[in-house]
Amino acid sequence: MKVVENLFPELCNIYGESYSVEYLSRCNGDIKLVQTNHKDVPAFVTEDVDMVYLGCSSERKQEQIIEILKPYKARIKELIDKGTIFLATGNAIEVFGKSIKDEDRVIEALGLFEFDSVRYMEAERHNSQYVGSFKADNGPITMLGHRSQFSFAYGDFENFPHWLDIEIGIGMNKETKREGIHYNNFFATYSLGPCLIMNPLFAKYLLRLMDIDDSLLFENEIMEAYEYRKHELRENLANS
Amino acid sequence: MLRFYIALWAAKLFYFINKLIGRARDDRPGLLAFKICPDFLARIGKPKLMITITGTNGKTTTSALINSYLKEQGLRVSFNDWGANLHAGYCLNLMRCVNIFNKVTKMDASVLEADEKTLAHTMGMIKPHYVLVTNISKDSLRRNGHPEYIFDCVEKCFEKLGADTTAILNANDPISSELARNTGAKRVFYGMDDIGSNPFENMVKDIAVCPRCGGELKYNYRQYRHIGDYYCADCDFKTKDAKFYATKVDLKARTMDILEDGETTTYPLISETIFNAFNVLSAAAALRTMGYEKASLAEFFERQKVTEIRETCVKYKGKEFHTYGAKSQNVSAASTVFEYMAKEKSDKIVVLCMDEVQDKNHPTETLTWLYETDFEFLNSPNIKQIVVAGHMYLNHRLRLMLAGVDPNKIAACEDESKVADLVDFSQDFEKLYVLFEIDYVTKGRNWRDAIVEKAKEVM
Repeated sequence: MKVVENLFPELCNIYGESYSVEYLSRCNGDIKLVQTNHKDVPAFVTEDVDMVYLGCSSERKQEQIIEILKPYKARIKELIDKGTIFLATGNAIEVFGKSIKDEDRVIEALGLFEFDSVRYMEAERHNSQYVGSFKADNGPITMLGHRSQFSFAYGDFENFPHWLDIEIGIGMNKETKREGIHYNNFFATYSLGPCLIMNPLFAKYLLRLMDIDDSLLFENEIMEAYEYRKHELRENLANS
Repeated sequence: MLRFYIALWAAKLFYFINKLIGRARDDRPGLLAFKICPDFLARIGKPKLMITITGTNGKTTTSALINSYLKEQGLRVSFNDWGANLHAGYCLNLMRCVNIFNKVTKMDASVLEADEKTLAHTMGMIKPHYVLVTNISKDSLRRNGHPEYIFDCVEKCFEKLGADTTAILNANDPISSELARNTGAKRVFYGMDDIGSNPFENMVKDIAVCPRCGGELKYNYRQYRHIGDYYCADCDFKTKDAKFYATKVDLKARTMDILEDGETTTYPLISETIFNAFNVLSAAAALRTMGYEKASLAEFFERQKVTEIRETCVKYKGKEFHTYGAKSQNVSAASTVFEYMAKEKSDKIVVLCMDEVQDKNHPTETLTWLYETDFEFLNSPNIKQIVVAGHMYLNHRLRLMLAGVDPNKIAACEDESKVADLVDFSQDFEKLYVLFEIDYVTKGRNWRDAIVEKAKEVM
């Protein structure tokens, strides 16, 4: 049995994020999905889970989550170093950076990766989509993402364990084509919503990482939707 | 001051020309005034009664009810009823109230339907006497982010208005009922008792934890989504006492009893839906707070019905073919409509016309809303077929399958012109609903009309 822990779904499911791990667990009966409330001690603290997922939250809740996770920083680092799968989407990526600046306030984050984030709450919300490439061990995977955010991350992303090389769209901020974090089996991206529904090939990759059958639920339908969206995104952007 | 008058006169001339050519609802004169004079809204003369209606859902219907009632009372009302709920619309709305010398001679009242995201700056200048907030719920992520962000936007408006306004708030909404707690505004609440609506549980919550302490939010009952009688398991956060309290709602009979200061009055409803019951309740609360008579209000509501663009129906051979506004990427509205499709008992075919018009400017439409919206509600025995057309058809098909809908019930294609060909008229159905994104009123009707024409060929 493989254990996938969904951290704080009551706080971190604001754009349908939880459907990613719900879907993963429906793909394979060997996956046990653990839903952890923010008032409870996460399962990963006391046991070696196979995957930890953290989704997007509101800005206030993001700060709350940082405070909840701070006592477990060393444990998170230990799990990352020994190859446990982590997936963080939306502004959850910022939880693992050094700090988040919000006007005059600087919120100290977990500091596991070398970058800082800045919120621009008075500016227009940034909305865009991306097509990016993940250099997976057994060949590149084209990743699709949707971003809708008030904040961006800044750092030396040319010398950083980034996840994706962006082909269309922006990366961690408007000036870079490097997107996300990929270190051992830790993956993070600003993309919102059900990341694994949007990226079935990456869902298969995760199943293989867990060493279980990588067949997907409604595989034909999800792949057809993915291929259509990938084509549409490339075509429309090329013509715009 | 000179700049203001140039703005006023230029806008009035523009408006005059627009009226001559039949474009009185074009809000560009308001935009012109704003561009010439950014503080136009602060300087423009104000009518003796101004009410702003905002919130995620229900503001259009509630605004229309308040506008119509005030007009029936003999007031000359300026109302941005063409959906211009941003600064240009407010400028035009208020410009129509004054003469060229900025004297308020033309209107007695202004009803301002307002976008909840941009309130603070504009309403800080307008200073409405009343601000009615219908609710704060999940909405389009691209426009509105998340409910907490919208709460902050509306709260900034109340902070700017201070004690100069009366906040009319939904006691049953754990989000918006927290507005104006410390701004000095007088707060008036409306609320509703348990009417046995027993709503389905939503997959993605508008609010999941107590806004004060983060504790678990519990309910004695819910009317729909997060609207209900709530309390926190860990602190004293709970539903506020309502001055206007609906003690009994009979949706079938279309009546609602409202208890106010110990006296109960029965008001007619404008439709059989719980959300329109809230719209009537909020309009009644606002108009009663302004001092209008219960009897005249009751008589007024008797003659009202849902705005036709949101729901239309034609009949053919005993079957009803509806168009029904559903606001696609507004997750709360879409889920509520899906729930209605399941609970409205007739056997039906549901046609999804829900690609969003704004997304034409984006390379592909976001699919996040599909996984926040309760498509599971459409997995209901009385829904005989689900038809979907348009460029999102593969995403809809997948989402419906993940929601447990039998693939044999799903008909999907990319080409919208073929939507009528997908409808299975051999199904035993009483009604067909085309659920349309509200920016696509005409498209929704065209789809429905094409389906009716097809029905005439094959039935």
